[in-house]
Amino acid sequence: MRLYSTSSEETLRARKLLTDWVGEGFLTKAQYQLLEQETVSELRTTNIFLRLVLFLFTLISVSAAAGLFYVVSRPSEQTAGVFFLIFAAVCYAAAEAAVSQLRLYRYGIEEALAVCSVGFLCAGLEVAFFSGSVYSPKEFLVPAAGVVFSLWIWLRFGLSYAFLAAMIFALFLPGYWISSREAQRLIIAMFYAIGLAGVASVHSRHRFDYLEEAYSLVEAFLWLGIYLAINLQLSLLNLSARWWDGTRAAAQFAGPFYWGTWVLIWCLPPIVLARGIRQKDRFVIAVGAIVASLTLVSNKPYLGWPRHTWDPMLLGILLTGVAFFIRRWLARGPGGIRHGFTAARLSGKDKHWINIGATVLGPLSPHSITPDPQPSSPDFRFGGGQTGGGGAGGDF
Amino acid sequence: MTILTRLEQWKEQGKISPEQHAHLAGLSRGEPLTLFLELNVLLYAGVLAFVGGLGWTVSTWSQQLGDALVLTVLSTILATSFWYCFSRAPAWSPAETPAPSPIFDYVLYLGSLIWSLELAYLENRFHVLSGKLDLYLLATAVLFFFLAYRFDNRLVLSLGLSSLAGWFGLTISHWSAHQDAAYRQYALLYCLLVGVGGALLQRRSLKPHFFGTYLNIVANVLFWALLSGVFNRQGYGLWFLALLIACGASVAWGLARRQFAFVAYAAVYGYVGVSSLILRGVTDESAFLGYFVVSGVAMLVVLVLIGRRFGRKA
Repeated sequence: MRLYSTSSEETLRARKLLTDWVGEGFLTKAQYQLLEQETVSELRTTNIFLRLVLFLFTLISVSAAAGLFYVVSRPSEQTAGVFFLIFAAVCYAAAEAAVSQLRLYRYGIEEALAVCSVGFLCAGLEVAFFSGSVYSPKEFLVPAAGVVFSLWIWLRFGLSYAFLAAMIFALFLPGYWISSREAQRLIIAMFYAIGLAGVASVHSRHRFDYLEEAYSLVEAFLWLGIYLAINLQLSLLNLSARWWDGTRAAAQFAGPFYWGTWVLIWCLPPIVLARGIRQKDRFVIAVGAIVASLTLVSNKPYLGWPRHTWDPMLLGILLTGVAFFIRRWLARGPGGIRHGFTAARLSGKDKHWINIGATVLGPLSPHSITPDPQPSSPDFRFGGGQTGGGGAGGDF
Repeated sequence: MTILTRLEQWKEQGKISPEQHAHLAGLSRGEPLTLFLELNVLLYAGVLAFVGGLGWTVSTWSQQLGDALVLTVLSTILATSFWYCFSRAPAWSPAETPAPSPIFDYVLYLGSLIWSLELAYLENRFHVLSGKLDLYLLATAVLFFFLAYRFDNRLVLSLGLSSLAGWFGLTISHWSAHQDAAYRQYALLYCLLVGVGGALLQRRSLKPHFFGTYLNIVANVLFWALLSGVFNRQGYGLWFLALLIACGASVAWGLARRQFAFVAYAAVYGYVGVSSLILRGVTDESAFLGYFVVSGVAMLVVLVLIGRRFGRKA
């Protein structure tokens, strides 16, 4: 099913690990040069920057070509839909050819073509069969096709974000079947839970091979998806309005359902964290930490309690304290290791990401640290979201 | 063949030692599993949330709390942070220096943010600098540069560069509202100063690993400034020429140093600039879209050639 052979992907993984290990001094340069010759793959890869730019320009070219066709031929809606479907097929065939003929691997071009094929498929189905008509119960076929085809792209090309796209398409499905918002959320959570069960069973068969990271990421997406589906205070819609008034969200849902989800948002973080720690899965652990923080942040709105300006301070102290405690606890273990975990840096990639984060987030963070003051003190304004210093130009 | 099988094979062939095999096989199995990145992100988020909450609280409740209490709290945190950093820091070295403790960088970051907060509060309440925001930003930038170089901290260096940009009148949030010629000139002056300063410091081997941060910030500010000139209705020719030169230089630098971010900057900013010029006055939809088809494919061809010639091939 997968376009790339196992040996090619294993070779690529070995090559990446060798580069990382020589950077960290675990291998000598001479050893690296010797071993590098044994990890030559026929796949053509590129660096992340060229990959992103190639993705962007492929997207521009393909979208413009579709737009040009539409403008030049001015087809009827149904004809346009059919042509979108043809575009989808052409894009998909081109993506397959780019891999099978040119051996492109995470090269940007084949990825953008695959992404375009999903977009054109959904647009084509919508325009060809459902445009201009009133609500049709069969319209769910559009997001359903998006789910199926995105999953296919994920399986075939191994693009993790295609799985994320499938999860997003799945969000739209229950709306076609049922009007109850509680049921919609339950169905979405159930979809993700089924996906999680499937992925978890496959994941266990790929310990230590090249697919482990991919399954790990997908599992993390699914845990996050389940959490977001059940946390009623983190709706994508009207988030800011709900933020300050938990009772409104409570009024939109039946009481038992509302309080059931409140219990669940407290139960899920420990489960996710326990799963991540047990499986030694960094992505799942990270999602566990994220959902635990989100639970703390959304608890007050859930209970309808007023939020205070010092809440972020308490959260900050908690996060810093937890990080400090874990780091200290791990460092005090024999060799800085406890239960198979360490706080020490073992990969150059980690340092690389921290350096990028420091360069990007350093100048941006001061702009976000001071939200607009509450109206409780109208005669005094300070900060206004740009405290200056690094914020560069706060209007205090 | 999995990496574990390969490692076993390399050990048997004598290409790696048994100790290396044990260590590398352990790493491949996630034994031990490092939480280095996760704990750093947690610390960063914690400091940011704390200072955010503090700023929010001060801005909302300062009248009830009183100036004395606010300033005492802020000064205590500031003094404690800086005392911690100065007392724990090893002797200064011009080379890259690891932080003496895992939380060191974040304590320094906390102190730097609190400094900004306290100075802003003082200025707002007592008008210490009589509304001279420039002086405040310049002093802050100088302090941040000193701290960044003293303690080898990229986060604080970025704050310093951002404060210096503020002194030049540049802010990220207000860019679109100030697209006048003077604003652009300040941006170019900023690029010149920071670029030359960064290069000189690198040549003198003073924290040469900071140079990448300087270059990335300078490249982005420069391209934004040049693009804003190209977008002008009149007198854009010189700006366009400057954009082309900057793109060429960026590509040359990126390829020579194998820093492909600069190739990407040149491709994207250059494409936007050239497209805006070519499409100026084009009203025909077909011509408009046709341009994107042709130019998009042309860019792809050029980038693929660059990738094949210089990019990584597995």
